[in-house]
Amino acid sequence: MDRVISTLIGVIAAVVGSGIIFIGANKLFDVAPRRWSWFTSLLGGLTGLFVFAILWANRVIASPVIWTLVATIIGTGVGYLLGSLTDTRARLVVGAAGGAVLGLIVGLNMRDVILVFGEGNNQFQVGTPIPNINYGELALWTAIGLAVGAAIWAVRGRSKPIARSLALWGTIGWAIGAFGMPDLNTASRENAILGATVLGLGLGAAAGLGTVPDAIRLRRIETGSRKYIFLTPALFFIAASLVVPTIRTFWLSFLDGRGEEAVGFANYSSVFTDANIIDVSNWTGIFGSRMFIGGLIVIALGVILAKLAGTRRGDAFEFGPGTMTPVVLGVFLVSFAVFATLRGTIINNLWWVFTVTSVATALGLAVAVLADRSKRENLAKSIIFMPMAISFVGAGIIWRFMYIARPPQREQTGVLNSLWVWLGQVSNSGTGKTVAAAVLLLLILGLAYFGFAGYRDGNRGMAIGSAVTALPLAWLIYKFLGPGLGGFAVVEATGNIQSQPIQFTSERPFNNIWLMVVLIWIQTGFTMVIFSAAIKAVPGELIEAAHVDGATESQTFWRVTIPQIAPTIGVVVTTLVVTVMKVFDIVRVMTAGNFDTNVIANEMYDKAFTEFNFGVGSALAMILFLAILPIMYYNIRRMQKAAV
Amino acid sequence: MAVVTTPSKSRLGERQGAGKTIYRFLRALPTWVLWLLVFVWSIPTLGLFVNSFRTRDAQSATGWWSFFNDPQGLSLDNYSDVMAAQVGGGVGNALLNSLAIAIPATIIPIAIAAFAAYAFAWIPFRGREWLFIATVALLAIPLQTSLIPLLQLFSGGGHWTIPLLDKTITFFPDLDLAGSVTAVWLTHTGFGLPFAIFLLHNYISGLPKDVFESAQIDGANHFTIFWRLVVPLSVPVLAAFAIFQFLWTYNDYLIALTMIGGNGEAWPVTIRIASLAGEFGTREHLLAAGAFISTVIPLIVFFSLQRYFVRGILAGSVKG
Repeated sequence: MDRVISTLIGVIAAVVGSGIIFIGANKLFDVAPRRWSWFTSLLGGLTGLFVFAILWANRVIASPVIWTLVATIIGTGVGYLLGSLTDTRARLVVGAAGGAVLGLIVGLNMRDVILVFGEGNNQFQVGTPIPNINYGELALWTAIGLAVGAAIWAVRGRSKPIARSLALWGTIGWAIGAFGMPDLNTASRENAILGATVLGLGLGAAAGLGTVPDAIRLRRIETGSRKYIFLTPALFFIAASLVVPTIRTFWLSFLDGRGEEAVGFANYSSVFTDANIIDVSNWTGIFGSRMFIGGLIVIALGVILAKLAGTRRGDAFEFGPGTMTPVVLGVFLVSFAVFATLRGTIINNLWWVFTVTSVATALGLAVAVLADRSKRENLAKSIIFMPMAISFVGAGIIWRFMYIARPPQREQTGVLNSLWVWLGQVSNSGTGKTVAAAVLLLLILGLAYFGFAGYRDGNRGMAIGSAVTALPLAWLIYKFLGPGLGGFAVVEATGNIQSQPIQFTSERPFNNIWLMVVLIWIQTGFTMVIFSAAIKAVPGELIEAAHVDGATESQTFWRVTIPQIAPTIGVVVTTLVVTVMKVFDIVRVMTAGNFDTNVIANEMYDKAFTEFNFGVGSALAMILFLAILPIMYYNIRRMQKAAV
Repeated sequence: MAVVTTPSKSRLGERQGAGKTIYRFLRALPTWVLWLLVFVWSIPTLGLFVNSFRTRDAQSATGWWSFFNDPQGLSLDNYSDVMAAQVGGGVGNALLNSLAIAIPATIIPIAIAAFAAYAFAWIPFRGREWLFIATVALLAIPLQTSLIPLLQLFSGGGHWTIPLLDKTITFFPDLDLAGSVTAVWLTHTGFGLPFAIFLLHNYISGLPKDVFESAQIDGANHFTIFWRLVVPLSVPVLAAFAIFQFLWTYNDYLIALTMIGGNGEAWPVTIRIASLAGEFGTREHLLAAGAFISTVIPLIVFFSLQRYFVRGILAGSVKG
């Protein structure tokens, strides 16, 4: 119960606190034109608070709590006076005195003992912040500061008095000369007092030399401040969590594992020479694989079909479902042969990007088209979309239950292995085999009829589609009647048939595919939703016009709908590529990168946070970044065009 | 705009007998394929749901589908066990942590991004276009490039050695945030902003211009306009982003794992069930219940607010 309450308090404090800061800042500037002195008192108080809080964080002053309070009060008072006094001399005195007092407080309380942290080898010391001032150097830097101030005043058009510019820049010069250049870590109280008091005096004088703004300037301050109030929180968070860390990661990628010594490109070269990360030594094996040859044959078949069908109509090629299916299938087979032969983390990542992006895009488009015509469209879409709400970790666990492989003697409790083993039993029983072959044969006959009907009606897409679908069915018949299909093994000693489940997550290299299925399962909902909206946005007149001109459904789809939604396809593909490139959770939960399933994000996590090699980890993160950069460029171009 | 794709009557009319039957079958085929896909898509979740109620023995003896033949061995024990504290801190505690991450990480970025989106859309200043494009460009930065420096920031504070002067100053004190949920939601806040600004800007910049002009003539300042006009008008897109961000932060694994690491007390539910999945054997039968509990909250959010979620996704990509 305590935990619940403390968590609740933390949440509320964070939310309410940020709200108060924002509304307060706006209210502050609302008040500014009407009650300038209120505004300046708040500003003075906040300046005192923040300056002392920074000193506190840097362990500059001893007993910081009480002095931060005092500084806030003094700042408020000085702010009030500066906001209401109009006499120049009085303002100067108040500003300078207030600044000097604050500076004196710092000087008197500047820590003069050396702090020791940690134990043993981890012990380190924090020296004192008191400078060992070299007076010649101090004079030189102050003079430089004054010169800069005069130059800026001259350039700025000389409309304001020179004294303020001199006070400000002279003090900055003083600060560099007193605290920047000399060695710190002495115990000279005089130096501390001198350095800090003059610094405070100068800044206070610069503030006092300003004037109470007139009505027009007050108005301008009020309107001009809004953009800062509205943008600063966002830009601050973005800079702190994205921009600066990315720059730092870039920097770390050229340092050693502990981030101390510069090592040049050693981290990058160690990534690209690691056989676990990229291994193309086996590339000749591609040409020997059955999948590669089969893929090439299927592609050739598709191209020939497209050529034949196209010639009949007078086009160079026919692009339709019937002719494109074999080409796409062949490209898949060839790519799988390539990705499965070349091994390594980076190759795996490319495999992921290729497979998940293409399959999820195609499936999403298919579901969107199918659902667009059916009655209970929303129910179907909701169910396909649902995995989007589930975490990648949850999805990984859900699919673990699908992929469970139990010892051959036991009953399979995973859906897929259960089906696979059942298929093995069917293809080893005489009746099962016959029934399966008969059913398949019937299907082929049906397809043949469709093919014939399509041919007769001049619907080539249907004819070729049926023929192409019949091919794998014929292959299944061969498998059933010939070598057998499914999860079984023949025990050599006895000749008995034993079930043989697939170890989905550990049988390399295709375990990668089974992990990708999880992401496809999730992302299809995303692509479907986007395509569904895009298809509904295709103007109805276009579709009708195509029908009136005698186009078939499939022709309308391929020649009207697809070109219309082409920009959306671009959006979906780029979004998916970026998502898949960064895939981490699924691999982490299902295999932890073992069994040749590693991907860059997981490799990066292991290197950086398990081995604590920040150099190589940063290099991997930068590689991921560089891989995403071209897509980012494309997206920004697209958005710029959309904005015009 | 809905498109009604009815088959052209003339061609259907020409068909006779068997041809007509086949044509009808063909027309129904897409629907069959669709529902087949829907069925396949729901199997994994259904299996998890059924298994989460089955006892340990039942889970290891038979597949979850045998429940339909023989509904035995059902109990709620898995749920009570997995919520209980002795199972590595308990999923109940983890759920609390998840909410403690997801709620601030949803509300704070919405507020911050709404301000920024308003400024980008309606407060004219020099370099606005450029700054906006630069902000949105950060959408594509993989969060991996930020993880190491952010962890260092949270675990040791931020220090900067001024070049030439060779003095180190601390700009972010070591607040010992690493290992706490605060570090996680702070990180999420930053990472969520580019997308939030992009999404909200799309919407807010499309609000009618006259509204703003007449308000300004009436003497309203930007803060009043934002508070009284923009926020009420933008509720749909704010809701869309809220759901998006809530699901993303609640379901996140990588950031929480990096920032919290080994501190099991602060683990959100994703890390908890991932670790449950990692320990093979004794407690594996609790995994389904744990995984299901972890998905309940996002599923409720998803199904009750699906309309807004879809709108968010569409606004985030199609409009682009």
